[in-house]
Amino acid sequence: MNDKILIDYMYIGLFFLCGIAAAGAPILISLLVRPRTKISQRTLQTYECGNIPFGQSWDFRHGIGFYLYALMFLAFEVDVLYLYPVATVFHKVPAFRAVGLFVVFLGILALGLIYAWRKGVFLWTSEKKIY
Amino acid sequence: MDILSNIPPHLFRMIIAVAVVLGFVFANATVMGYLERKLAGRFQRRLGPMEVGWHGILQMPVDGIKLIAKQLIVPDNVAGILFYVAPLIAMSPVALPFLVIPFAPGLQVIDLDVGAIFVLTMISFNTVAVFLAGWSSNNNYAMIGAMRAVAQNIAYEIPILLSVLAIGLMTNTFSMKGIIEAQKSIWFIIVQPAAFIMMFICSIAETNRAPFDLPEAESELTAGFHTEYSGIAFSLFMIAEYTYMFVNCCLVATLFLGGWKGIPLPFGDYSSCIWFFAKVYFLMFVIVWCRWTFPRVRFDQLMNFAWKYLIPFSLVNLLITAILVKLL
Repeated sequence: MNDKILIDYMYIGLFFLCGIAAAGAPILISLLVRPRTKISQRTLQTYECGNIPFGQSWDFRHGIGFYLYALMFLAFEVDVLYLYPVATVFHKVPAFRAVGLFVVFLGILALGLIYAWRKGVFLWTSEKKIY
Repeated sequence: MDILSNIPPHLFRMIIAVAVVLGFVFANATVMGYLERKLAGRFQRRLGPMEVGWHGILQMPVDGIKLIAKQLIVPDNVAGILFYVAPLIAMSPVALPFLVIPFAPGLQVIDLDVGAIFVLTMISFNTVAVFLAGWSSNNNYAMIGAMRAVAQNIAYEIPILLSVLAIGLMTNTFSMKGIIEAQKSIWFIIVQPAAFIMMFICSIAETNRAPFDLPEAESELTAGFHTEYSGIAFSLFMIAEYTYMFVNCCLVATLFLGGWKGIPLPFGDYSSCIWFFAKVYFLMFVIVWCRWTFPRVRFDQLMNFAWKYLIPFSLVNLLITAILVKLL
């Protein structure tokens, strides 16, 4: 059994290394065959519809809504991942107990969604009331 | 010391598998690029590429040569090494999902117990690459595109997970082969139509395709997260996108459309991959069809569609599945 796992890991490792090679090879070929003409300094500006770029884009602020979505995602993703082992043994558990626990778990998960909904996480700035 | 005698036959198999898979990745991108342009032309009552070769059939190889021979322009104020790493991260995991995809009973590289989860994990690598590309470009368009891509991909990941889970409750395994074997009598699309529709919508959104292609919406963000990439780096993103599209369709075909099942053929262990490819390319055709038919959604509509409709519905679907599995 351990041999099988080791061989599976070898497959994964080899596929990953070959993937990197397949991604790097076109770039290397392109580096070799690209034209080496002189380019003007303006070509090296980042594109901003012809304007001279203003500031660093890392300094601009983004809506807090993105952060709330990310938090929601973390809560959901981790909770849903707990259900994956449950699914593999679902047929071995007595019916009443399995369904009962499943309903409780999903209910708590859904409560999180309802809470965020009521709190207005899914509203965008134009529709937002002031709380 | 048993392991040492086991490795050589596997090594041979590994090398053949990796060569075939990587060849297929590039071939698939070429074929899909051509088909997409040709179909887009047909949907819009024009001809599409016609000049290079018969009906433009050599258009994509010629474009590939052109892209590879272009100057590599790296703007001055990008975030150094991250700018180079992003296309590599987009491209390097593309071969991995093919490890567990069962093309035919005899055409599967390895059968992991966590096959379906493994494929989902590898698909979500693309989000990292897209965000890295947008962030390191130091360009406002790219930055907005990257933020949108992450918000969208994480929102649409959850209904996919819940739909796969609904299948998992019925099969009690996540091995790809096991899921197909469980569909011996009836395909899961008939048992789980809601999960199929939600999963298919989400896989369109996961691959950043129209009508959900907000990260690269050209009318508002020029080219979105890959604004600063040109030449071969740009085409690596495109190849990765087409491959993830293929992998997503493979997952849908395996979970819901019975994988290789179809009319029995001679040498079924290998030749039944024809059915698998037919199903996968039909799904890809539908994705292209959607892209050129539906207008692009607005960003708040996109997010609310996932959080207010798809996730509650998939939770309910999961609950009903859990109850029915125990009742029947």
